[in-house]
Amino acid sequence: MEGLRRHKSMFVLPGLLTLLLIIVFPLLFTLRVSFSGWNVSNPQMDFVGGANYVKMLHDGRFWSAILRLLPLAGGTALIQYIIGFGMALLVWHEVRGRRFWRVLFLVPMMTTPVVMAAIWQTIFNESLGPVNDLLGKLGIAPVKWFTESGPALAALMTVEVWQWTPFMFLLLLAGLLSLPKEPFMAAAIDGAGVWRTFLKVTFPLMAPISVTAIIIRLIEESKISDSVYVLTSGGPGSSTETPGYYLYIRGLSEQQTGYAGALSLTYLVLMIVTLTIISALLVRAFKVKEN
Amino acid sequence: MTLHATDLRLAVDGVDHLKDVTATFQPGRLHTVIGRTLAGKTTLMRVLAGLQGVDSGSLTRDGADFLTTPVWQRDTAMVYQQFINYPHLNVFENVAFPLKRAGLSRDEVQRRAQESLARVGLAEFHERKPSQLSGGQQQRVALARALARGAGILLLDEPFVNLDYKLREQLREEFKGLFSGQGDAVVIYATTEPAEAMMLGDVVLVMHEGQIIQIGAPDEVFDRPATTTVARIINDPPMNIFAGRIESGQITVADLQATHVPVHLAGLPDGSYQFGLRATDVSLARSGIEGEVTFVEISGSETFVHVAVGEAPFVVQIEGIHDVALGELVAMKLRPERLFAFDQNGTLVRPAANEHAAREGH
Amino acid sequence: MSRLYPTFKYTVIALWGSFVVGPFLWALTTSFKDANGVQGGATYIPWMQYKPTLLGWHNIFGGAGGIDVVQPFLNSAIITIAASAISLVLGSLAAYGLSRYRFKLGFIKNRDIIFFFVTQRIMPPVVLVIPFFYLLQQVNLLDTIPGLIIVTVALLLPIAVWVMVDFFNGIPREIDEMAMLDGCGPFEVFVRTILPNSLPGLTVALMFCAVFGWNDFFFAFRLTFTQIQTLPQAVVALNSSVPPWWTLSAAALFGLLPLILLAIRVERYLSRGSLPGAVR
Repeated sequence: MEGLRRHKSMFVLPGLLTLLLIIVFPLLFTLRVSFSGWNVSNPQMDFVGGANYVKMLHDGRFWSAILRLLPLAGGTALIQYIIGFGMALLVWHEVRGRRFWRVLFLVPMMTTPVVMAAIWQTIFNESLGPVNDLLGKLGIAPVKWFTESGPALAALMTVEVWQWTPFMFLLLLAGLLSLPKEPFMAAAIDGAGVWRTFLKVTFPLMAPISVTAIIIRLIEESKISDSVYVLTSGGPGSSTETPGYYLYIRGLSEQQTGYAGALSLTYLVLMIVTLTIISALLVRAFKVKEN
Repeated sequence: MTLHATDLRLAVDGVDHLKDVTATFQPGRLHTVIGRTLAGKTTLMRVLAGLQGVDSGSLTRDGADFLTTPVWQRDTAMVYQQFINYPHLNVFENVAFPLKRAGLSRDEVQRRAQESLARVGLAEFHERKPSQLSGGQQQRVALARALARGAGILLLDEPFVNLDYKLREQLREEFKGLFSGQGDAVVIYATTEPAEAMMLGDVVLVMHEGQIIQIGAPDEVFDRPATTTVARIINDPPMNIFAGRIESGQITVADLQATHVPVHLAGLPDGSYQFGLRATDVSLARSGIEGEVTFVEISGSETFVHVAVGEAPFVVQIEGIHDVALGELVAMKLRPERLFAFDQNGTLVRPAANEHAAREGH
Repeated sequence: MSRLYPTFKYTVIALWGSFVVGPFLWALTTSFKDANGVQGGATYIPWMQYKPTLLGWHNIFGGAGGIDVVQPFLNSAIITIAASAISLVLGSLAAYGLSRYRFKLGFIKNRDIIFFFVTQRIMPPVVLVIPFFYLLQQVNLLDTIPGLIIVTVALLLPIAVWVMVDFFNGIPREIDEMAMLDGCGPFEVFVRTILPNSLPGLTVALMFCAVFGWNDFFFAFRLTFTQIQTLPQAVVALNSSVPPWWTLSAAALFGLLPLILLAIRVERYLSRGSLPGAVR
């Protein structure tokens, strides 16, 4: 539309510019700072070339954190998916008191993660918390939730599963509700049983939304840092540190700003590459199920 | 106000949407633009409305440049094919919307909106929302809104095409009456149906592949189509066009039949021609040009028989419903005085005789 | 099999329901305990296993040895409301632009803008905190409410745009055209015809903004020192070792209350399938 372009840009530009600034400014800052030696004793934007990146390559703690994302983010996302999908299937067709359940299932994902983490910390408390208490009543020895790395990771994952499975649930339920009826009628006519219908009809049809949901959860679970801060402080030792949390230690706690910048960008690139690959793999995995 | 378009050109991705479009639109007249789908009718309308720019050419209103005028200052109203109304406003507010924008007094807005809605037969529906109305009713709201404004330019892009047949006929009739109240407005109505174009228009513009290939009064375009393309577009079913020759006083048609050159074609030089004949001017007979029936279509109270004569396809339109079998061998009789003669390039050389006959109440 | 199914179904739902409700119930119970109710091991039922007191609840409103939870609550409220409102306004404008026009600001196209979004979501909050720390320091807005509002807008704006772009894309362009023909300039088109039809989208966007804004911890944590504290900060500050569990629980529940109420209020919007669209 002639002559309109000017007008439109004018009222839309403020929003867009702000948006770009908000996103581009931190990225550029981080990029620039990663090439500087900015830290506590030297708070300025000088230039040290790739020194930070070299340091990063030798940083075992960083890479442990990255690798940890495999069970932590991957496992959590998978569990959330399975439970979320399962619940959605159960509730899909008809369930009594639907509104009540929906609110109930909605609440966890609206709670403040750090606040819940504080509560969970009391729940998992090794001597005074209900988990070990109930386990004891079942005859199981108390688990060292915060003093052993395995259980600590499990506790963290439990917290995340509690918090975000509702997200999966809602998303997948909405997806199920919007599926066309025809394939199911066809399957019924063909005499397909419950399991076969699920494998051949439901699951493939839900592929796009499943991939989207899993990718979103992977992104979000990978970057958790505030729950870690409150629940385990990365411990015991550094065994439950996520890259986000480690970044916090280096960048904010120790104020090694330059180094943290290098870590951040490496994390970003790694995530983008990995997510793209995972995305492609997932799409293929779902297609295989189709016949 | 008079709209004048000169040499409008618009190409998108190498395809011409508008090419050398030149036309004048005058106030107080109903201009119909007829063409097949994708002929450029909608594009032309959108250019006139300011919703679409052009690559080159000029558009003036009363001599002043109109191309750079923003949409909201063009004093133009448009009715779309898809019934577009404001979903969040009820029927009355929908019609009142442009009136309020124009700064009319509350009373004036009230009066005009009510009057407009009454004229389209929606007086009792003021409170309803468009989503609660049927398709036909929604389109009437759109019409009422466009008419209430008394805009200087009124554009209608196949407004009734998404409605059922009966409703279409009814609204078409009503529209003629509605339009008469528009006074000095320039009204432009796009359609793919020749019948509609003929019935409604004071001026008919024929468009094809982005170009205007003929402009004239309905009679003129119908009786004297400038090219074979126009002849095909302006008739429904399309005019039968086939090759033939005139040689030493004999006319050979479809390489089969030779008769004396009919009177109205006398004086044409010998040579190859393209002849045109309307489907209504061909009839099935006991003897004549022979061909095989390839398709039979019954529509309304007419039967359309498609006959293949060698390579050339013919369409014969017969009154009433007839039982004709596929593959049947039939003979067709032509009315020689109804032949149109076009040269090899498709340009009209001689129209058919009896020009005022056969306008068959279309 | 089909006869057992309903039992199976409701059992599973009940189990999950218990898992969901568990932490809240625990916090509720614990908030009424005192040292006796906690030191001896886990207790659950008031009067039977421990003696309930209002100590925790008393403490959070300025009781001795406790904190004042009201001021942080108000701070959170002000920041969340302001940042959400600003993000919605700016975000809707930006989203409208992205929806309706093709942008060619140099190398940036609409698709690239989406890429930048995703990048911002991938980054741990820490990465955003550092640049904004220095930014706020330059303009002397550290440890102030306006400063936090600005940074929270930075956090929420992409979310608002994300939701609204999708929504605007669902409104046919012909409505815009019709409004323009009817005499509205572009801005009027937006305000008079697009916005009134956008209430569902705006609601969802507002909800996301409110939740994410309220729940932010890191920004508040690192960008404030003594003057200002948000509610999540206040709760976390209480999270030392064992002793004030009751205060902690009371504070936590107090802070979660608005969110729970919001969840009840808003449940019907999310269930209508606007979530998948909003989250794409």
